[in-house]
Amino acid sequence: MDAHYAIETEGLEKIYRSRFRGRQIRAVSDLTLRVPEGVKFGLLGANGAGKTTFVKMLLSAVHPTAGRAALFGRNAGEPESRRPVGYLPENHRFPTYFTGAGMLNFYGALSGMAAVERGKRIPELLAVVGLSDWGDVRIKKYSKGMLQRLGLAQALLHRPRLLVLDEPTDGVDPLGRRQIRDTLNSLLDTGVTIFINSHLLSEVEVFCDRVAIIHKGRLALEGRIRDLVAGRGYKLVAVQATDEVRRAVSVVTASATLESDRLETQMSDRGELNRVIDILRQSGALIESVTATVSTLEDVFIRTTQGETAIAPPQATEVMA
Amino acid sequence: MSDLVTLPRFGVTAALVADTFQEAMARWLFWALFGLSTLLILFFLFILKIDVVDGAISLLGLQSTSHSFSDLQRIVHLAYSRVALFLYVWGTFLAVFASAGLMPSVLEPGRVGLLLSKPITRPVLLMGRFLGNLLIVSANVCYLILSIWIIIGIKTGMWDPAFLLSIPFTVFVFAVLLCVVVFIGVVFESAPVAVMVAAALMLVSGILAQKGNVVKLLSSEWSRDLWTWLYWASPKVWDLGRAMMNLISDRSAEWWAPAWTSAAFGIVVLAAAIQIFRKRDY
Repeated sequence: MDAHYAIETEGLEKIYRSRFRGRQIRAVSDLTLRVPEGVKFGLLGANGAGKTTFVKMLLSAVHPTAGRAALFGRNAGEPESRRPVGYLPENHRFPTYFTGAGMLNFYGALSGMAAVERGKRIPELLAVVGLSDWGDVRIKKYSKGMLQRLGLAQALLHRPRLLVLDEPTDGVDPLGRRQIRDTLNSLLDTGVTIFINSHLLSEVEVFCDRVAIIHKGRLALEGRIRDLVAGRGYKLVAVQATDEVRRAVSVVTASATLESDRLETQMSDRGELNRVIDILRQSGALIESVTATVSTLEDVFIRTTQGETAIAPPQATEVMA
Repeated sequence: MSDLVTLPRFGVTAALVADTFQEAMARWLFWALFGLSTLLILFFLFILKIDVVDGAISLLGLQSTSHSFSDLQRIVHLAYSRVALFLYVWGTFLAVFASAGLMPSVLEPGRVGLLLSKPITRPVLLMGRFLGNLLIVSANVCYLILSIWIIIGIKTGMWDPAFLLSIPFTVFVFAVLLCVVVFIGVVFESAPVAVMVAAALMLVSGILAQKGNVVKLLSSEWSRDLWTWLYWASPKVWDLGRAMMNLISDRSAEWWAPAWTSAAFGIVVLAAAIQIFRKRDY
């Protein structure tokens, strides 16, 4: 296992067995993933895809059935491997008898921070997440957004090298979401690896450099977001087309549908577009519109989880005719 | 260098113990535990104030010339031992009842996951909780028994240090039962089940302790062996209580065998709890 990777897994697998019926559920299957140090990585997947199980295996809350996981080259099963990790769990339940500062003090101590260091760092972090005035208030009085920000402060307290955030903005209002995003943005130049497990695709697309999509427990797609959404192309609509024209166009691009005399086709580049235009002009069909399209992460996600290849479906950005 | 290694671990354990204290204070059950102890202390204060008791004490004082000193001591020891037994049963049961929820609460989803993500081992997490729980109950037992010892001592002028033996006996038996509470907490994550099992063990220990008589009545060899095996394999709450009474009454008592076999029971159960906790997914 390589220490240059913040997270490295190899053939990771988790099968849950029910205690009495002996039923098996394969939550994660043969998952090999490498997250280089210093990147902002998003883990995507539908509900029940195995994302949280994967994260829990990284943090040793769940034991893998097979395979290996390492954090900065260290076996994830060793407690020491978790020292440089800050974690904000999904659906966390912080003990309500704590004040905000008290909770940070407790989790800071468990992270191995000295009392003096905690004393300095806690007010700093409370200020960073906008809870300076709430440090002495019991957390049962906190709103969901405040709890989430406090949880983030807890994860950042011991200056981790890897921040694992499980649905960090889930249930948080837009203002709270913005504050969380601002806090994360303030970490951009610190070299911290940020690993976000989320189903909020737009947020991941805006924030992360790289992304992996888990589907039914398997790694379905992984790569840089800019590469994955690079499926740019053109959508062309023409009328007075015939089936013969559609067949000719299909030789250039597989995506060509004819309804009545209306032809819709998708081209992946400018060359294909021009060849199709030539065919249409020679055939006497009339071009109605040509639209430049880009792919969003959501498009990639939907195509991937529906078992198709991640090619750009159309989204209008520019209308030419 | 070894200090540098040990210090953070001590810090982690101290944080876990402090957390258990804090949670205990936030639960009304623990305030109720200290409240009930205070009520009992006040009750003793009141009892020793009433005329009948005053009269009895005076009588013993007046007639002490006609009684031999050893007779008087025996009566005092006997009274102390009865009070100690009452406190032993009271203290142990209430402590089990109050502690049962502390293990399942830490295993709640959304809480345990974050704890396990910290650079600590699972046994340390469990033992920190165990230790915190034990310290809280020890504080309560000391408060209760020391207070009553002082009240009786001031009132009668007879200070019997043997009465204080009820502190280690009560704390020890609670520690053994706490191992069961932790085990049930880890396996079933249920406070009521933990209370039921611990209470059942207290009752069963009284029945199994009658082995001397029962074994004579049993006809088959295997049933006699089973009874004896069950007796030795289970915590001896009853026998330890009786041994404590005898020691306070200044009589000889067979306490070593019940003590070490109960301790062994506790260690095995706690080790099993740790092993299950280590293997479990959260």
